[in-house]
Amino acid sequence: MTEAEIKQKLTAIFRSVFDNDSIEISEATTAKDIEGWDSLTHVNLIVAVEKGFKISFTTKEVMALQTAGDLMRLIASRCN
Amino acid sequence: MSLQAQFMLKNDRSELDYAQLVKKAKSLRPGNGYRLKMALLANVSTQHLVPLLKAIFDGNGVDLEVYEGGFDAIELEAYNAESGLYRFQPQMAVILQSVMKLKASYYDFDGDRGSFSKTQADKAEAVWKAIQARLHVPVIQSTYVLPPERIFGNYGLKAADTLQGAVSEVNRELSLRARAIPSVFMNDVDYIAGWVGRRHFLDEKLWAIAKSFCALEFLPEVAQSIVDIALACIGRAVKCVVLDLDGTLWGGVVGEDGLEGIGLGDLDPGGAFRHFQYYLRELSLRGIILAVCSKNNEATAREVFQKHTEMVLKEEHIAVFVANWQDKATNIKNIREKLNIGFDSMVFLDDNPFERNLVRQMIPGIIVPELPEDPGLYVRALAELNLFETASHSGLDAQRNKFYQDQQKREAEQKQYANIEEYLCSLQTTADFRLFEPGNISRVAQLIQRSNQFNLTTRRHSQADCEAMMADHEHFYPFAIRIQDRYGDFGLINVVILKLHPAEGRIEIDTFIMSCRVLQRGVEQFAMNKIFEFARNGNYKSVAGCYIPTAKNAMVKDFYAQFGFVRDKNSQGTETWWSLDAGQYVPRKVFIREAGLPGAA
Repeated sequence: MTEAEIKQKLTAIFRSVFDNDSIEISEATTAKDIEGWDSLTHVNLIVAVEKGFKISFTTKEVMALQTAGDLMRLIASRCN
Repeated sequence: MSLQAQFMLKNDRSELDYAQLVKKAKSLRPGNGYRLKMALLANVSTQHLVPLLKAIFDGNGVDLEVYEGGFDAIELEAYNAESGLYRFQPQMAVILQSVMKLKASYYDFDGDRGSFSKTQADKAEAVWKAIQARLHVPVIQSTYVLPPERIFGNYGLKAADTLQGAVSEVNRELSLRARAIPSVFMNDVDYIAGWVGRRHFLDEKLWAIAKSFCALEFLPEVAQSIVDIALACIGRAVKCVVLDLDGTLWGGVVGEDGLEGIGLGDLDPGGAFRHFQYYLRELSLRGIILAVCSKNNEATAREVFQKHTEMVLKEEHIAVFVANWQDKATNIKNIREKLNIGFDSMVFLDDNPFERNLVRQMIPGIIVPELPEDPGLYVRALAELNLFETASHSGLDAQRNKFYQDQQKREAEQKQYANIEEYLCSLQTTADFRLFEPGNISRVAQLIQRSNQFNLTTRRHSQADCEAMMADHEHFYPFAIRIQDRYGDFGLINVVILKLHPAEGRIEIDTFIMSCRVLQRGVEQFAMNKIFEFARNGNYKSVAGCYIPTAKNAMVKDFYAQFGFVRDKNSQGTETWWSLDAGQYVPRKVFIREAGLPGAA
């Protein structure tokens, strides 16, 4: 998958999980930038990403995530 | 609340999708459903579970209010009289415990590992008792999911003191103790985990990140299980299964293939039908009423029950037998009238999709599960829906079908009598009047949970409440009546709870419930005579009562007026209050003889 494809698919997942169709994500997007991104929805997000991309993260990887950029790189490392 | 949603969820578990339910939960508005306050006490995080519970309860017409206890603070909540749990005053308490925590307790256990399961169960039981000492509410305890590790491999089942054995023993020990306390219920999450596959159910990563009970994908199943138990506790339970015959109880069409030509017996597909009949017979023995609704000539249909050697179900298992050429919706309405129960407590099983759709459309509320094409999968399809959850069980349940059959004999006989009095005399009814006592308390509690129609206040007192009333002679006079007539035993069918206010010389009828099996036989008159007899003997001046309308109890809206009670003008809202001076009551004439009856309630 290309970076753009990953970003597009991930954006759709963000929009679905946070129930907001206007969400745009960037390299620097963090939990503070998105309404409703808390510890509860973070778990929902991770599970939705794993399901959507048919991949699985390790506990350590999930704990280390800080930004949407981190997440996109992690997905890329698994999908490519 | 939406009836349509209720109908969908009960019919189809494919609705149990995590993301969908989370979305639904966000859009919920407090409606006008039944309000339920539930406390969740857990050593896992409950934040993902709560939205699911709210969404599923909403689909069943219940507005849920939840108290989430502190994380891993089950004992703190239970033992501290000032805890949030007790301030919240829930109507039920749900305890959810993870095997991850249990494992840690096992590995760190100081004592003899042989006593581990007993120690764990002791702790759980102490928590139940602490909660129920302060709140007379049902407690719903989860089982533990069997973990993956087997230190000895298969040999672990032979060796003493292994983790694998200990978890099973804890579960066993918990359920044995729950049996002894009627208002403690087991939520068998290990069954769910086993069914969906434990390796998918347990999720170590989500446990590490979020202390999640299981993979989010299966959390809706856990929520549904809690909802199933809670609904049974508030009196929502299936009471009757209406069965089609051809293609449902046996293969083929008896009218065309003949008695010997239908598929039933050891050879497939006959074996599948026989297996299905075993399942239905077990339901019948458990107290679920079975009725037949078939497009057939009655004699042809009955002949199968009477003569086919491979039939597991016999006529004695069927409370109402309807075989004719009318449409099924009309027939089911007639069956409902005979049984006097709500459509929402009926399940209709038919292999024919046309009939299923017709009944769904014509009868709102009735539960019509999809049946798979392969009869070998009928049992599994129904088991997955968990339609038959219950909150009580009494020895008389097995006889319920017979009650209704006796009733039909009575009706046939009634036609021979010139007037109702003559008929009532001919029945030779005897009544056994008793205060609440250990021998009748479980049936009393069951009637309180199940009765919807002849129920003035619909107060769902738990068995623990009833036991407390039984002991509190100063404030309560709770009694129950059991009757029988020359056709058979009705069992315990009337429960009255009088609240005593001796200082004011006043009695309040807190609860007046009668089974609809005994309408128009003078039982309510007999009971009312008893109430005023007690009032006069105790020098009470007046008796008061209230009618709280629900969707189902319109049949008793004039109950107090009929006995000469005067409506209190100060009645507020939809409740109406009524009272009558003890001296003004005119005892009603009844055709019921009072006598002790042998046997248990």
